[in-house]
Amino acid sequence: MASLSEEVLLVVKKVRQRKQDGTLYLMAERVAWGPEGKDRFTVSHLYADIRCQKISPDGKAKIQLQLVLHTGESTTFHFANESSALKDRDATKELLQQLLPKFKKKANKELEEKNRMLQEDPVLFQLYKDLVVSQVISAEEFWANRLGGINNTDPAVVNNKQEVGISGAFLADIRPQTDGCNGLRYNLTADIIESIFRTYPAVKQKYSENVPHNLTEKEFWTRFFQSHYFHRDRINTGTQDIFSECAKQDEKGLKSLVIQGVKNPLVDLLSLEDKTLDEGYGICTTLPSTSNANKTVKESSNSAIIKRFNHHSAMVLAAGSRKGVFTSLLTASSSETSSTDGNSRDSDFFQPPVKKVKLQEAIEYEDLQRENRPKTVALNLKKSDRYAHGPVPLQSQHYTTSQDIINSVNYIRHEMMNYKPNLTEVLSSTAASSAIAALSPGGVLMQAGAQQAINQMVPTEVQGELKHLYVAAGELLRHFWSCFPVNTPFLEEKVMKMKSNLERFQVTKLCPFQEKIQRQYLSTNLTGHLEEMLQTAYSKFHIWQTRRMMRKT
Amino acid sequence: PTEPFALIICINPRLMRHLFVVIDCSRSMEDQDLKPNRLTSTLKLMEAFIDGYFDQNPISQVGIITTKNKRAEKLTDLAGNPKKHIAMLKKAVDTVCVGEPSLYNSLKLAIQTLKHMPGHTSREILIILSSLTTCDPANIYEMTKTLKSLNVRVSIIGLSAEVRVCTVLTRETGGSYHVILDESHFKELLMLHVKPPPTSSSSECSLIRMGFPQHTIGSLADQDAKPAFSMSHLDSSSGPSLGGYFCPQCHSNYTELPVECKVCGLTLVSAPHLARSFHHLFPLDAFIESPVEEHQRNGYDFCQACQGELKDKSIFTCPSCRSVFCVECDLFIHDSLHCCPSCIHSQTAS
Repeated sequence: MASLSEEVLLVVKKVRQRKQDGTLYLMAERVAWGPEGKDRFTVSHLYADIRCQKISPDGKAKIQLQLVLHTGESTTFHFANESSALKDRDATKELLQQLLPKFKKKANKELEEKNRMLQEDPVLFQLYKDLVVSQVISAEEFWANRLGGINNTDPAVVNNKQEVGISGAFLADIRPQTDGCNGLRYNLTADIIESIFRTYPAVKQKYSENVPHNLTEKEFWTRFFQSHYFHRDRINTGTQDIFSECAKQDEKGLKSLVIQGVKNPLVDLLSLEDKTLDEGYGICTTLPSTSNANKTVKESSNSAIIKRFNHHSAMVLAAGSRKGVFTSLLTASSSETSSTDGNSRDSDFFQPPVKKVKLQEAIEYEDLQRENRPKTVALNLKKSDRYAHGPVPLQSQHYTTSQDIINSVNYIRHEMMNYKPNLTEVLSSTAASSAIAALSPGGVLMQAGAQQAINQMVPTEVQGELKHLYVAAGELLRHFWSCFPVNTPFLEEKVMKMKSNLERFQVTKLCPFQEKIQRQYLSTNLTGHLEEMLQTAYSKFHIWQTRRMMRKT
Repeated sequence: PTEPFALIICINPRLMRHLFVVIDCSRSMEDQDLKPNRLTSTLKLMEAFIDGYFDQNPISQVGIITTKNKRAEKLTDLAGNPKKHIAMLKKAVDTVCVGEPSLYNSLKLAIQTLKHMPGHTSREILIILSSLTTCDPANIYEMTKTLKSLNVRVSIIGLSAEVRVCTVLTRETGGSYHVILDESHFKELLMLHVKPPPTSSSSECSLIRMGFPQHTIGSLADQDAKPAFSMSHLDSSSGPSLGGYFCPQCHSNYTELPVECKVCGLTLVSAPHLARSFHHLFPLDAFIESPVEEHQRNGYDFCQACQGELKDKSIFTCPSCRSVFCVECDLFIHDSLHCCPSCIHSQTAS
């Protein structure tokens, strides 16, 4: 039966399935059907399992809806309510149409991600082949740490797609270029189109209504730029323009914003006017009357463009907040200001937005106050002289004490004070020069020479194969060492499994490689280091096992 | 084996820093008020910054993020090896500067990684912002709250003018905000961030294990020479080496330190690395400045460190051993040596 936490989106009564009457339920993640009178669901399918839905053609007596699953099987529902069967079926169909795509993506997303990772990284692909295909470890273990991000973080992050703000100047950035023959070219990028749609939902609606049925995309945008809706003087709005409705909607929107007003008590918009001070400081004419009748054409087009600017800014801000930051807006606007009116100070967020505080912020300048240094914590070191020398041994070991070393140094210093070089007993010149040669670059004691020699002695394919072995062993060992300290039963199981994985790796991969290179008469011990690493892991396992046994007994 | 295995030491956040540097790559970076343009100048100074950062903080990590066109992307991930960062900085000179930066997206990208860092390390973001605007998909003050809760300190260096949002962001997270006057001021401000910031009371100190592998050199002449591949160079075309550093816990091979062992996770450092970090915990006291005539009367004519004649107007005296140093040696002692040479000598002699 449905768990209490499942949200039911739609309930349709009188739906028959397999000739039985019942009720169809559409929930948040699955669709289910239960027979009449019974409490249980006999049919339940997750949206992720449904491949597609089919409906019976209009005109047929039986009004049906069929769900086809990925596995191939299908379930048919017959809508039997005499009065509303068609309506029910269509409502169900539309809801499914919206829900199915969401879940389809989630199921395939993981597979897609895995495939993408294997394709992009050849080292990873090789590792996958070495470990999973040859069954050294299982596929789940391989992907365990790598896909950790997908199910935990938000989808926006996984898709590598970032949410992007809307730049206030996006319309201005569409810089038209002259075509050469009286035309203008507008360059629209996907970003600009998205900005237009998010800021002006009316335009988006027009787009979805008209494209691609009535107009092509190019035609739509051409009309957009031609219409007066886009240009600054919206005086003539002929009714043939598809955007005339948008203009009317904008007017309505602007009016409602004005009615809402500004909630900040310290701002009085109505008292803002053009004031004149003196000649040269402001317009020295009589104040323009507010009645529409006396407005000149210039003034009305000025006020039209100012209106458009204000409207555009309000829409941009509203579009930004429409993205789901509503919870924060609710908490912020419960106080006297909202965050999008541009007038709020940061005191809204960090202190109780009381009028008193706002007034205080307006009259105080923190630059003029005495400087408050941030409080830093003084370092509290107990026995700071412990940092001056290394750790003191707890058990009696044969260590040279610091006093011994100091005594030795003093002794040497004493010897050196009385030292007189005995020139008959120094190194012969040949010995000295051979020592210098050995220590110069390229000499016996300098590594670089050895590096070259190894590279020449071991063929590149062998080196490549050895590197693959290192990558695979490194992966297994990483899983092994991540189990320590072993403090849960899960880790105990894992560490034992990893140990057997390592042994299996050694037998199936390392030993054949060893035999191969021995047959090639390569004398250098190429696998010695790998074996040492594995041996270190085995000893660690052994120590842990012994301790565990001792604890049990 | 007699080599030291691993020690458990107390780490202070000032020693292990995780810092993300966000570089603005918006249109305003094409401005030529810094020569040849802001972007090139910034990238050049960043290379010097990276070198200085790893010199002063050998066991810390840094990552670089760029922001343009309302988006942010990672140039390099958090890593402890300076070479990769410097290589990517050199390549970044060719980026096209376009659009507006996004403070919100850059901060969001940075905290995706920073929030997983353990509490005994410091989490820092340094933003170099040249634009006067930022285009964000959500409220930046919400992001500020998130940053505070995650204990991330954000500092900003502005290249144009003071911006209110930056002032609030840095003030609330405990970072610093400066605007540059010219190129040398820019360098000075950038180098201020090389030193670790003072710890606030909410930071943790914890004990962590570190390994101190000894450097071994092998030679082919050895009977049982075992060439080994370094675990950090498996994807390059380099061949096996006969020596290097072996992790004391799992015996993996590495050619350079410091490094975090890829197999067992142990942090491998060498003692000088830690010693270099320690001078942040025990800063050397400032030397006492006094006019040179006073000491010339007592017969001190030479600087104790460089044995040169005292020609400057003032001399500096170490408060513990009373040795006298000239101006340049004083600067050198405090910037590079971090210990008074006479004090050390007198310690070993006793």
